[in-house]
Amino acid sequence: MIDIAANLLWMFLIVIGGVLISWSVHFVPVGGAPAAMAQATGIGTGTVQLAAGAGLTGLISAGYMMNIVDNLPLILASGAVGAMIMISVTMIVGTWVYVYGVGCVPSSAKVKQDPITHDRQDLYVSQGTEGHGLPTVSYVSGVIGGALGGLGGSLVYYALLKVGMGVAEVNANMIGLVAIFAIGIFFVNAVIPSYNIGGTIEGFHDPKWKKWPKAVISSFVATIFCALVAVIAISQLGGL
Amino acid sequence: MEPLIGMGVLALMGVAATIAGASEDLESDVGSQSNPNSQVQLAPQMMFPHRIYNKAVSGEPPSNALMSAIGGTGAVVLMSEFNLSPLFALVIGALIAACVHGTFAMTSTMGRAASQSRFKQPVYLDMIRSHTPVIIAYAFITTFCVLIISYMLNVVLGHPFPLPLLAFIWGITIGAIGSSTGDVHYGAEREFQQFEFGSGLNASNSGNIVRFAESGLRNGYDNSWFCAKFGGPVTGIAFGMTVFLGSWVTTVFDPAVSVSRGWLSVVAGIIIVFILIIWNRKIEVAARNAFGPYKEDKIEEEAAA
Repeated sequence: MIDIAANLLWMFLIVIGGVLISWSVHFVPVGGAPAAMAQATGIGTGTVQLAAGAGLTGLISAGYMMNIVDNLPLILASGAVGAMIMISVTMIVGTWVYVYGVGCVPSSAKVKQDPITHDRQDLYVSQGTEGHGLPTVSYVSGVIGGALGGLGGSLVYYALLKVGMGVAEVNANMIGLVAIFAIGIFFVNAVIPSYNIGGTIEGFHDPKWKKWPKAVISSFVATIFCALVAVIAISQLGGL
Repeated sequence: MEPLIGMGVLALMGVAATIAGASEDLESDVGSQSNPNSQVQLAPQMMFPHRIYNKAVSGEPPSNALMSAIGGTGAVVLMSEFNLSPLFALVIGALIAACVHGTFAMTSTMGRAASQSRFKQPVYLDMIRSHTPVIIAYAFITTFCVLIISYMLNVVLGHPFPLPLLAFIWGITIGAIGSSTGDVHYGAEREFQQFEFGSGLNASNSGNIVRFAESGLRNGYDNSWFCAKFGGPVTGIAFGMTVFLGSWVTTVFDPAVSVSRGWLSVVAGIIIVFILIIWNRKIEVAARNAFGPYKEDKIEEEAAA
């Protein structure tokens, strides 16, 4: 017998986690294919790819922590820190490549001045490009995005595992099932904001960032369905 | 676990990750994958037919995750059902994954080149025959190293996720890192070396990739030779740092000892991130001072006039 009412709290947490993931993607400075050719500001990869890379690294940290302690704030914090470390390492090495390998200085084409350092940006943008590299504001925005993504992913994992704990003892099969559902919910919520971002976004200073409420509302609705399916499936298969 | 053994395992994982990162990037250079491949794909349509392998099975994270998950699943089956020693099982698992990847690489490059026949893009069979084994070899190294990391994390450090799932997640991560760091060296520099260094890629030059090598036509080998000098190694450092630093904080400040130790590990991670933010800022300022010339500052000119 599947008791949806008993799992309402966990479903609520799953939805909050999904919404956090969706919001986090807007912070990650990705330039897609143009950035890989030093034609746009940001990291030269796709939105979903980088957000998932960071968030799932956070999931590994959170999974490890949850195996040891049952302290929700600590599990969430370790997930956020794991994702932050992955994304900041990727961005610093990206800066090495842009500066030392490609010879481009970090610059933003969306704002005239960096909101954090107040440096002029328009002077450094090369002709025919939309900026290149990772100026400080994009870097900080990416770190915030990584933290929120790791937080959301860990929250989803925590809630799903609690659903599983309600039906059976925790074993390797259940952890595998729960983690796959967590990854699936992560991907659903990382893809939805892509329609807002449309390939490139520089961070929270980019005009496109202001469109986040649309993606967050869509993710809210989508995650309710995901949570429903996940709770039913884990309740049925959790003890397998 | 003894802290010293933990640190030793961590060091070994860091080394495996560094090798995996480097080989992952070079595999995507010799076969041309991910975002830079959009230019290789575009070139014939702009009337620049070329002799560069054009695989792009999918985005790098999904293709590496597929490889690693196949390898991990194969290895687990061999270990649990056939009682094979982990070393053999991981090698055979990685071999299966590399062969599957080779199949995808070959079908995608043939399909892509054949579909561009109307733009007079030839299908170079000798190039496909010579490049595919190299792609398989790099894929084998990458998968094997990812499996070693996942195995150690699972068996030695006691991570609760099963091995194939850890391999899948590390596959996504290594693909995301390779596509964000090393590929920029291939896409922004190697493909467009005929344009002025440091000018980025002007949108009007899209598709005009370098097609001639020092001798003859340029192929994937030439690209991986160039990227092995910078793009590949830094990708390795990036993935090595991610694996090492991500686990280092919980090895030094072990949350199993006490919850306060766990919080110290979080603080240590945040300090590392702050150091990296400051480092990025230092590079930004130093590069702006060292490079140039830039556009004239119109406001200053007007003020001077």
